[in-house]
Amino acid sequence: MSGELLRAEGIGKRFGGFVALEGITVSFAAGQLTSIIGPNGAGKSTFFNILSGALTPTSGKLHFRGRELNGLPQHRFVHQGISRSYQITNIFPDLSVHENVRVAAQALTVSYDIWRNRARLTELNARADAALDAVGLLGKRAELAKFLSHGQQRALEIAIALVSEPELLLLDEPTAGMGPEETKDMVALLERLADKRTVLLVEHKMKMVLGLSRRVVVLHHGRLLADGAPDEIRSNPEVRRVYLGQSEGYG
Amino acid sequence: MDLSLIIMQLLSGIALGAVLVITALGLTIVFGMLGVVNFAHGALFMIGAYAGLYLASLTGSFWWGLLLAPILIGAFGMLIEFVLIRRLYGRSIDDPLLLTFGLSYVLVEGVRIVFGSDGIPFPTPPQLIGVLDLGIGFFPRYRLFVIALVAVVLLVLWLTLEKTRVGLIVRAGARDPTIMQVLGVDIGRVWLAIFGLGVGLAALGGVLAGPMRSVNPEMGSLVLAEAFVVTVIGGLGSIVGAVVAGLMVGISISMVALFAPEMATIVMFALMAVVLLIRPQGLFGVRGRTA
Amino acid sequence: MTSPSSGEAVAKSSPGGLGWLLEQRVLLSIAVLAVLPWLLPSQALAVNVLIYGVVVMGYNLLFGYTGLLSFGQAAFFGAGAYFTGIAIGRYGVPWFAAVPIAVGLSTCLAAAIGIVSTRTRGIYFSMVTLALAQLVYYVALQASSFTGGENGLRGFTVDRISLFGLQVNFLDPVNKYYVLMIFAALAMWFQSRILNSPFGAVIEAIRENEQRARACGYDVERSKLIVFMLSGAISSLGGCMLALHLSIVPLDILHYQTSGMIVMMVLLGGARSFFGPFVGAASFLILEDVISLWTPHWQIFVGAIFVLFVLFLPKGIWGTLLDVLGIGKARQ
Repeated sequence: MSGELLRAEGIGKRFGGFVALEGITVSFAAGQLTSIIGPNGAGKSTFFNILSGALTPTSGKLHFRGRELNGLPQHRFVHQGISRSYQITNIFPDLSVHENVRVAAQALTVSYDIWRNRARLTELNARADAALDAVGLLGKRAELAKFLSHGQQRALEIAIALVSEPELLLLDEPTAGMGPEETKDMVALLERLADKRTVLLVEHKMKMVLGLSRRVVVLHHGRLLADGAPDEIRSNPEVRRVYLGQSEGYG
Repeated sequence: MDLSLIIMQLLSGIALGAVLVITALGLTIVFGMLGVVNFAHGALFMIGAYAGLYLASLTGSFWWGLLLAPILIGAFGMLIEFVLIRRLYGRSIDDPLLLTFGLSYVLVEGVRIVFGSDGIPFPTPPQLIGVLDLGIGFFPRYRLFVIALVAVVLLVLWLTLEKTRVGLIVRAGARDPTIMQVLGVDIGRVWLAIFGLGVGLAALGGVLAGPMRSVNPEMGSLVLAEAFVVTVIGGLGSIVGAVVAGLMVGISISMVALFAPEMATIVMFALMAVVLLIRPQGLFGVRGRTA
Repeated sequence: MTSPSSGEAVAKSSPGGLGWLLEQRVLLSIAVLAVLPWLLPSQALAVNVLIYGVVVMGYNLLFGYTGLLSFGQAAFFGAGAYFTGIAIGRYGVPWFAAVPIAVGLSTCLAAAIGIVSTRTRGIYFSMVTLALAQLVYYVALQASSFTGGENGLRGFTVDRISLFGLQVNFLDPVNKYYVLMIFAALAMWFQSRILNSPFGAVIEAIRENEQRARACGYDVERSKLIVFMLSGAISSLGGCMLALHLSIVPLDILHYQTSGMIVMMVLLGGARSFFGPFVGAASFLILEDVISLWTPHWQIFVGAIFVLFVLFLPKGIWGTLLDVLGIGKARQ
């Protein structure tokens, strides 16, 4: 369960004159849940987009299982074993819940097959159902995704990311826009997920993050501010200063 | 081949390009503001030519036609926006394109019903008949006038966009429509005006092209393809792009016509393919704008 | 046929009933087409419905299922017709070989146009496909020694064909209809396979959410290129059928007005439904026939009706009908 899975080395990202990230060096070990936190505009989303291949860093290197990822197009990241969910619900609205997950499951094997009948690819269907079961959506499999509740769509979002059996699962604010009940369900789901695989979480809700994570990385103004166990982060004066007055941030 | 011939052909290309610039500009401004590609743009260009012709014969003066046709057809364009296109905001980006495509059928057939299917000659205004001695050769006066008029229109448009409050609103709105709500501007009215302006420019292009081509119900279909090529090369929504690409296409057509006339129409499409392979967003386009 | 339905209907049924269920939409469509000549006022109309139905069906793969609004499908419809005519008339290739050759060459053309156009997104794609198809039109106009230029391609007539050792008089309209229907049936079977395949799911995912499809691991550009070629191939088969049917290829087949007509047909019938293209082709052609009886200006009505469809009936006749009848779930 140990060993380095992902290493970011001096990652920086500029948009024109604006420096979104600078000199982020951090490494993540296999098999634990790490959270990335920071106030708005800290560069969390940019960092996440770089880790999932949606953005190319302007400087620095990414290593995943010893392999350099720089220059790899986004769609190849899943094939390497990195999968992500989105902060805003980002599903296939007019497809069934099952099909949403099944189409993600087939990406690694049979994407360009125009001949076989996909309904007969039973292993893929079973995997899709297993992922739906894991997030508690198996009962809704036949419904169109657009008719799910917000919380259910968030869960579907995770199932889509989960079904490729990624070694590294990147979750971008999975509880965004959720009420307390839905958040509780999601936290339980995250705990179950973290048992089996490496999870990187971007979160806004400080209390939840500190309770859930084994390790917390704090970004501020595009730089690495702190990195450590939840207890160390909680007592870190720098972090307290940054979050001071942002009481909702602790909510 | 001597140099003066090439220069004369270059001038011809600029005159041809000037009409393209005006027409493509209408298309690109509307897209930049409303996110709508108007498929009926070519048909409205054609209607502009007919309106210019009709008004010129009614008033006995080309100049009234040139002035009134763009205004009237521009107002007609506002009607189209208000009655039809407005219903489609918020729906798929394809829907306005499809609607205006159907509309172009109606407009072309409507003109056939009123004016007949045959081409009508568009007389050159008497003041601009004949050629002017440029020292190195003779050039049609009318084409020089077209170049000059388009230059003036471009200058006025540019000054309006850069120096006036209206221009500020338009530029801000093209970037982010919510800004206009913050500023307390009625977006609906701005969209109406911009669509009218775009259609008016198409009509102006039609009137200007009239004496250079024959006027017929089908004239808009080639123009639409040309305007598409120009906006794609220049970058959809970019005004500078429309100007540069319009002149580029006009000059290319004209130059190729000198050496290989049968390739003249083909060259602009080839030019577009090359630009797209190198820069899919067009020369002055912003990436991701059309997503 | 929407994908959730296919996925669902299939996953729940037993493996035995499954194949039957899937073939059903093809079989039902063939059954309707088989009686079509007796439902429509004229044989000529029925043949046209068959031909345009195939062309529009191919286009539906691109527009309806993948969500790519191309205004250049006429290029492949025309290419299929021209290549068939040139192969038969100029090189003396027998008709049964000319058709696959023509489809193959048209698919290559689709690859070339697709490489340029699928690099663009959104509204750009519509404009670029229109422009590139116009390029094909002007090339055909200029290369008149091959294509006959403005006069169209003539000088190839298929009057008798031998089918499994059977000599069929191809000038007989009924024979002609059923021979062409074999092509249509093949095209439908092929299209149905694509829609049911894993790749069929990829194109729907791209239509629904391009960004997420990419994040799921799909090479979106490559997938678009593949579907562009498949769509061009099927539409070009319609072109081959037209060439065999008319024995001439009019130049207008390549004009963007033809592309526009294909777009109109798919919307009238219902994009994203399996049989919608045939309904759309039939509605358009019947409208044209009926209205042109009392006015030469039928286009003004067709244009107006199309505008009304975009505004009020975006799912088309067949798509709306299926929704109303509640068979959206197991669409035929």
